[in-house]
Amino acid sequence: MSLVFQSLVLGVLMGGLYALLAAGLTLYFGVMRVVMIAHAAFLVLAAYLAWAFTVGTGLDPMLSLVVTVPLFFAVGVGVQRLLVARLRPATMTMMSVLLTFAVALAVEGALGLVFTGTHRRLPLSYAGARLELFGASVALVKLIAFGLAVVTLAGLHVLLKVTRFGQALRATMQHREAARLLGVDTDRVAGYGFGLGLATAAVGGTALALDATIYPSLHWAWIGPLMAIIVVGGLGSVGGAAIAALLLGVGQNLLQLPLGTTWAQTFFYAALFVTLILRPQGFFGGRLAQRF
Amino acid sequence: MDIAHGLRIGALGATVALLVSGCFGGRPAEGGAGGDGPIRVGVSLPLTGDFSEPGKGVQRGYEAWAKHVYENGGLLGRQVELIVLDDQSNADRVAADYEKLINSDGVDLVFGPFSTRLVIPAAQVARDYGFLFVEPAGAAREVFEQGFDNLFYAAPAIAQDHYDHLAEAITAMPEATRPKTAAYAAMDDPFAQGTANGLKEKLAAAGIRTVVDEVYPPNTTDFGSIAAKIADSRADVVVGGTQYQDAVNLIVALRQLNYQPKLAAFSTAPTNPEFPKAIGAQTEGILSPTGYTPEADYPSNKEFVDFYAREHGAAPTEDEANAWTTGQVVAAAVTAAGCADPSKECQRKMIDWLHANEVRTVVGPLRWDSAGRPQGAHLIQQYVGGEIRIVLPAEAKEAELVYPKPAW
Amino acid sequence: MKAVGLVVLAAFLVAFPSLASDPFVLSVGVVIASYAVLATGWNFVGGFTGYISLGHAAYSGLGGYATGLLILRAGLNPWVALVVGALVVAVLAVPVGIAALRVRGASFVIVSIAVVLVLLLVFQSWGSVTGGSDGLRVPRPFDADVLRPEQHQRFFHLHAVLLGVMLLCWWVIDRSRFGMGLKAIREDEDKARSLGVPTVRYKLAAFVVSAFFTALGGGLYALWFGFLDPIFQFSILVGSNMVLMSLLGGVRSLFGPLVGAVVVGYATEFSKAQYGDTQLHLVAMGVLLAVVVLFLPDGIIPALRGLVARLRPGQASIREVTQEELVRR
Repeated sequence: MSLVFQSLVLGVLMGGLYALLAAGLTLYFGVMRVVMIAHAAFLVLAAYLAWAFTVGTGLDPMLSLVVTVPLFFAVGVGVQRLLVARLRPATMTMMSVLLTFAVALAVEGALGLVFTGTHRRLPLSYAGARLELFGASVALVKLIAFGLAVVTLAGLHVLLKVTRFGQALRATMQHREAARLLGVDTDRVAGYGFGLGLATAAVGGTALALDATIYPSLHWAWIGPLMAIIVVGGLGSVGGAAIAALLLGVGQNLLQLPLGTTWAQTFFYAALFVTLILRPQGFFGGRLAQRF
Repeated sequence: MDIAHGLRIGALGATVALLVSGCFGGRPAEGGAGGDGPIRVGVSLPLTGDFSEPGKGVQRGYEAWAKHVYENGGLLGRQVELIVLDDQSNADRVAADYEKLINSDGVDLVFGPFSTRLVIPAAQVARDYGFLFVEPAGAAREVFEQGFDNLFYAAPAIAQDHYDHLAEAITAMPEATRPKTAAYAAMDDPFAQGTANGLKEKLAAAGIRTVVDEVYPPNTTDFGSIAAKIADSRADVVVGGTQYQDAVNLIVALRQLNYQPKLAAFSTAPTNPEFPKAIGAQTEGILSPTGYTPEADYPSNKEFVDFYAREHGAAPTEDEANAWTTGQVVAAAVTAAGCADPSKECQRKMIDWLHANEVRTVVGPLRWDSAGRPQGAHLIQQYVGGEIRIVLPAEAKEAELVYPKPAW
Repeated sequence: MKAVGLVVLAAFLVAFPSLASDPFVLSVGVVIASYAVLATGWNFVGGFTGYISLGHAAYSGLGGYATGLLILRAGLNPWVALVVGALVVAVLAVPVGIAALRVRGASFVIVSIAVVLVLLLVFQSWGSVTGGSDGLRVPRPFDADVLRPEQHQRFFHLHAVLLGVMLLCWWVIDRSRFGMGLKAIREDEDKARSLGVPTVRYKLAAFVVSAFFTALGGGLYALWFGFLDPIFQFSILVGSNMVLMSLLGGVRSLFGPLVGAVVVGYATEFSKAQYGDTQLHLVAMGVLLAVVVLFLPDGIIPALRGLVARLRPGQASIREVTQEELVRR
């Protein structure tokens, strides 16, 4: 019983992290109908920057966010403006996959060139620290990662719901042409939406680096699960992706008990196929997916 | 437009013919059979990609060996020239590389690549051209079950036998203190899984119950659940069939759950110089098998350690030692056969000699069965007082085995 | 004149093994021929319907494994195993196609990636059948006295024959009612449906044909290479290579994927021989793919054709413009 509870706790923590890692993907899809394959590569890039920052300065990796979040925002706007916006609208979805795939390859190659293929892990004094929570052990680093996810997603929620920019962004996501008619500068908003998505990658990558080893080809391991999450959640729905991430994280962790690690990983893909057969628009919102 | 189209296809074909047959920078063989030019030794290594870390270690070992031979008058009076290609940690590439080395670059000898996953395709190419294939890192049982008669593994033992000394030591413990249960977690990789399975079979036969037996895919980054299972089982012994990053992650995850085994053994990772940096002070008591120690008093080892330390300013690790051993084994075969050329006769002479004879190397005297399996066992090391020391077998030990291990 | 070009191409394919300076060059030829087969196989779905699958490594990998397993576990003759294996893969592709083609665009790509990843997990962990992470050794189809260079030569010709059959199929479909329907789907799926094209059935048929040929290509490669390892068989990089080659050559052209395969295959070998051991090849592949997507979305062949057409003097003032070209504007 305690093992089940322990797995449940681990699953919730992991699901929270998944939600953070997938948040950007829903933003890109929402504003541009773009499936951003390179998101995972940018997560790994952020993780490497956090690692280099901590090893270089001896400060806590969290402080690297001061640099990486604005940097990634700018890169995101740049990617949208200089690359994605150049694609023909008719073939946008398909070609953007290839374009962002190309970006992912370039990022992986560059990481290999700069940091070599050596596996790195953040040297943290509190890596093994833990708290007791109703009889379950909770690692401090996992709790911090979960906290980062909660804070980021809450901030994103407030930004989207309360601010003027958020309203413009949501309008663009729902119906681009209508938003433009209402006077929203949709091109600019799409650029910022991309920047925002990539900024979440900076936070997500740092959270990821707290409790895992990193290496340049790591992003391949993340592409599949993250894609499954956004489809199950409903493409373009930030809230849906978060719920899906939590459910899939918990499900994967509990399934590991009877099935073992490998077969539990297939849970993501099983959920993906079931979603597409039963409800292609996703289980939690996301009207967009019907058309795409 | 169609006419031009047809012509273009023809032109394209002709261009391709010229390009393909002309290029790829294959240098013609100079040395050739019985020539006085240098002996050209070809090797393909994963210098980039997922296996690049150990691949570079093997490269350092090969280069040190070649330099050492060069400074000591060469082989059969000829100099040695290494040709190293990068296989990008990819099986298709590794086969293409040996194809190129043997056919285009005209090498006289080949050395093996790194990683079990790359050894089998490479050995196939070498065998098809009748080449002797001595390899520094392809220890899994399957490598020796493919019917390669040209293959020799240049290390003391295959993966399944790495923990033999530890298994003996555990079964020899008095009933009262002997561990009762064991948990195993192994990466789904022929080598890593082989080491854990070898120990599991032997301990299970001795009555030590297997309470957890997990296999995880190579790309696993989160070990929370596996660690939870192991912690929940309260196994006395935890064994990791690991490479590097997975061992580090697993150990941290186990510590996060405050699981304290009496004995913890992990393959490969603890011998990596990065390991203490990643784990911190909690390495104390962790066990690991190794095929090599710089302290071993085999005659050629001191020479190797001194030479390597002079070149690189650090003692060699297992990867460098296995590469050097490969060099020694091939050199012994060349000397005994009195030839070093790609002809079938010469290669066959070397293969036959290695099947029948023992070679003294930096990892000890080696001899092989008909499938190329070495007939030894690995040493067992343990972190004692912050240093990694040999603790088993008794005749080679530098420190006493610490049991039960201190808390991590 | 077109026939002359084809004859030259065929003559080259027949003569290449004797032109190759050594067995290594011949083996590179086999690899490039295999690329061409896989890319052309991909193009049956990518080129006709415009659905871009990043996961065609699933079908080449399955084809390889099906061939190997049928030889080893069922004792079939290698050539029978190759064809039966590809048929099995085609049958397996039906449910996958139904699931993937229900959705358009983004979800289709995601499914295609997911299929590869899930197959990797299955083939890696189902060791008792597939050999798991130990890999699977596929026995030689020829006797032991057929030496390796001779093997390369035979496999080069086998690949060339397969490629010829595939190109013929493509050519026939391209001119058929079926092909017209597929191209209508590519240009505007909703319009095609309203015009009475049975889009679902057509897409599925193209998908299955594509999986069948890709599996044949994968099986033939497995017979030549002799060793299957799940992490190299079910790799997204392999699938993305097929896309890059087809796109580079031109997905609408019969010979596009072949041209792309030759260019990419040759560039890969060349850059490796010249620049050796860096991760730059990944960067280079990324940049090349990005350049193609951004600036040459129709590939080299149409781009060159356009260039030639513009340079040629005496163009008629009124040009014939095909529906295809109009839509592209």
